[in-house]
Amino acid sequence: MKQRATAIAIFWALLLTTMALRAPSFFEFGNLRDIAVTNASALIVATGMTLVIIAGEIDVSVGSQFAVASVIAGTLVKAGLPLPLTALITLFAGACFGALNGFLVTTLGVPSIVATLAAMAFWRELLRWITQGAWVQGLPASFQWMGLSQAHGELAILAASAALFGAFAWAMRHLHCGRAVYAVGSNRESARLAGLPVPLITFSVFTLMGALTAVAAVLDSVRFSQVQSSAGAGLELKAISAVVIGGTAITGGTGGLWGTLLGASVLAVIAPALTFLGINAFWEKAIQGGIILGAIVLERVSKRGGRRAR
Amino acid sequence: MLVENRAGSERALALVIALEILIFAFTGPNFLSTGNAFEIVRLGVELGLLALALSPIIVTGGIDLSVGSMMGLCAVVFGFLWRDLHVPIVFAGLAALATGVAGGALNALLITRFGGAPLIVTLGTYSLFRGIAEGLTRGVENFSQFPPAFLYIGQGYLGGIIPAQALVFVVFAAFFWLLLHRSIYGRALRAIGFAAAGNGDARWAGIPVARRLALSYTLSGFTAAAASLIYVAHLGQARSDAGTGYELLAITAVVLGGASIAGGRGSIWGTLLGLTAIVVLQNGLRVSALPVELAGILTSAILVVTIAISQLRFTPAPEAEEDQMKNSQLAVLSAVIIAGSLIVAGSNWWLVRSIRPAPATGSAAAAPIRHTIAVMPKAKGDPYFVSTRLGAEAAAKELGQDLIWDGPADLDPARQNEVVEAWITRGVDTIAVAVINAPGISTVLRKARAKGIKVLTWDADAQPDARDFFVNQATPQGIGETLADEANRILGGSGDFAIITGALTAANQNEWIRYIKARIADKYPKLNLITIRPSDDDRNRAFSEAQTLMKVYPKMRLIMAISAPAVPGAAEAVKQSGRQDVKVTGLSLPNMCKPYVKAGIADSVVLWNTLDLGYLVVNASRQAADGTLKAGATSMDGGRLGTIGVEGSQVVLGKPLVFTKENIDKFDF
Repeated sequence: MKQRATAIAIFWALLLTTMALRAPSFFEFGNLRDIAVTNASALIVATGMTLVIIAGEIDVSVGSQFAVASVIAGTLVKAGLPLPLTALITLFAGACFGALNGFLVTTLGVPSIVATLAAMAFWRELLRWITQGAWVQGLPASFQWMGLSQAHGELAILAASAALFGAFAWAMRHLHCGRAVYAVGSNRESARLAGLPVPLITFSVFTLMGALTAVAAVLDSVRFSQVQSSAGAGLELKAISAVVIGGTAITGGTGGLWGTLLGASVLAVIAPALTFLGINAFWEKAIQGGIILGAIVLERVSKRGGRRAR
Repeated sequence: MLVENRAGSERALALVIALEILIFAFTGPNFLSTGNAFEIVRLGVELGLLALALSPIIVTGGIDLSVGSMMGLCAVVFGFLWRDLHVPIVFAGLAALATGVAGGALNALLITRFGGAPLIVTLGTYSLFRGIAEGLTRGVENFSQFPPAFLYIGQGYLGGIIPAQALVFVVFAAFFWLLLHRSIYGRALRAIGFAAAGNGDARWAGIPVARRLALSYTLSGFTAAAASLIYVAHLGQARSDAGTGYELLAITAVVLGGASIAGGRGSIWGTLLGLTAIVVLQNGLRVSALPVELAGILTSAILVVTIAISQLRFTPAPEAEEDQMKNSQLAVLSAVIIAGSLIVAGSNWWLVRSIRPAPATGSAAAAPIRHTIAVMPKAKGDPYFVSTRLGAEAAAKELGQDLIWDGPADLDPARQNEVVEAWITRGVDTIAVAVINAPGISTVLRKARAKGIKVLTWDADAQPDARDFFVNQATPQGIGETLADEANRILGGSGDFAIITGALTAANQNEWIRYIKARIADKYPKLNLITIRPSDDDRNRAFSEAQTLMKVYPKMRLIMAISAPAVPGAAEAVKQSGRQDVKVTGLSLPNMCKPYVKAGIADSVVLWNTLDLGYLVVNASRQAADGTLKAGATSMDGGRLGTIGVEGSQVVLGKPLVFTKENIDKFDF
């Protein structure tokens, strides 16, 4: 699966070169910072998704979980709770949503795509029913940017997501529990025979996914002064695409977070890059789909090339 | 063991369906009628075709996420060939089917030759197909006015009662049944799935895996194309957003029917049962006037429970305990369904109770006749319609009327037809619809009128002969021109501006944009519209788009956001950039925009009074129902709104409001 990451890296280099030639203002600090801040939360979700996919599972409910966590955070702050406490409660709630998925998958044996498909519809419709589409408005001024100035708030969001990403990237490579996720994903039965608590690991991965989604929801919400109840629409597809483009195999067991970082940055840059290049928005979805398919084709082609060379 | 297990999950599902029918027979007036049964069949056809297409694929352990997008692409190809290239309609239809085959073959090629995982390949084509459809039509193109003979496929009734498309569905169902259960191909697909589930490879058994897989994905493309033709005939309109989101419901139906997502297990009967469970639930909730959100919640609950039960039964258990297990699991399933039905019944009871104590106003002698007034927004979750609902509820309370408020969760014209059909079955007194798609809904509205139901439209009109009155708050022309005038005022006569719209395919917004462009070409030649960007009705997306626009076009002085969440999104981006020279205007709700209007970032926000609109719709509905508002009237009593003018068959609310710093505090919605 290395090949896919290489293919994407080549594409990435081409895109950046094009931007440098056609629209050099793309590389202005302000623009890069804005793109990074906007996509920080998506990276956190993609981080969790990488773990889930490496473990051989999938979670399509993150978009709905994200919306529910955002509304919970907004409602609690509006009720007068301080932001740190709100963040903790939201984190706990997110972990519970993730744990529910984990329970369905490990204890009840529901395949993860079915369990999380159900969770996706369940949370989204429940939220719709309760809020009837209304936003959380009239939040205290200390909500936006966590009471910091805009510049410091942005820095805090970037630092938090970078720290989370770095910690997971390190842990997945060097810690026992990180390697265990790979073991479970590459062969469940061997992992069990090797003495790993397979259900516990799967359960923990889903719980972490939920917790990370809640963190992402909080970090995303504080960029604004009101919380929209339809947040996170399509987030699951974005996160899965980022992971897959980054070379992690959907069958589990291989891949890693650095690839996901690459995938997430390609996806983050496409929409603004198209605007900078003056390409019509109507073709955006087609281009996104084309990138995923291109990655599959390139991977295969480079694999064949490699074999011939041998 | 396996066969027995399948039969078990089918039995459980049959039980679910029986319970659904039992409950809805009590809660939904006329739910148990032949007409409604055929309506359910009719509405399930497009979804059912996709579910059939997915069944063999899921049996092989694969998946096809691209079927919904494929419907959009085929619809556009069909409409384009017929209308713009004047291809005879039969050949246009064949070309659409060929497109489906080609798309399916592309999936097959990438999966079998390039070794892509089905989930990833079809995730890619899910974006690709929809993207090509949007690119070809630029989002705006909307093909309609198909000949009646074609529309018959989707709207006609054989012998006056059997929906025409049911016949197509039966043919496809029979074909897929033969394929999967009575042919060597079906056996091969099953073997592939079993092997995949057990980490094996069916090639070891001499099965040409690549060719069989290619067959199933290509068939899926073909079937999705057939579904799209029926969809187009059903709605009388071909657009790039056909079939959005259908893939997930179709997968749910197949999996609910006992197919294992890992491969190997699955049957056409199961799929049909799963489909029935979903469609009956949706129709039953609508006929019972219960919140449709319950459909998603209950479907997911039933899905998890049935799968969990069949999974648990898979775990090896001592033979003797087998029967006992079965009973206890059936008991669990029944408990969940009973709990679900209690929720349904409970909320129904609560709904009735919450409506009953209303008629306290007026003396006993002059108690108004209670009519059931059904009102449908374009999309239930849209903040604009949420606030309209508040006005409608206030009116219903004041006038002592029963209000049903229901509609699609997102802008989905097919769902609007379903809801109207359910209301006709239920037997309401008036129907008032904010129309997404005029040619599509007019057929059902005419049907409602023929049954003696008074029909009104609001927000956007249907074909004039399909309704009694149109409550016209402000025409698309009025909105477009007001927005263009505001842009001219803010820019002081000349300058660059950009538009951030909702979804690129949103019909409303595209119409406004047309009038904005026309007005500018006509009256304000020095205004320059640089670009139009989508926000997909997402505040955060609008925020990012506005950020990028400000950098790419430093000379841009105004962002016009024309979807309710986009105005606060764009205004926040301007605020965070610290740019004093860029202003925001657009169409949105006052509460969302208040902070930005007060800070002077959003100079003005345009909207009509949505509370008044909801109030007027219910008021006009009641007067149409009791005959106070007759054809030919020139005015009507608008209650707290005073006298309202009626022009022809249009009830006119007035011009759109322009909210500014000075007046925005007076509005709370």
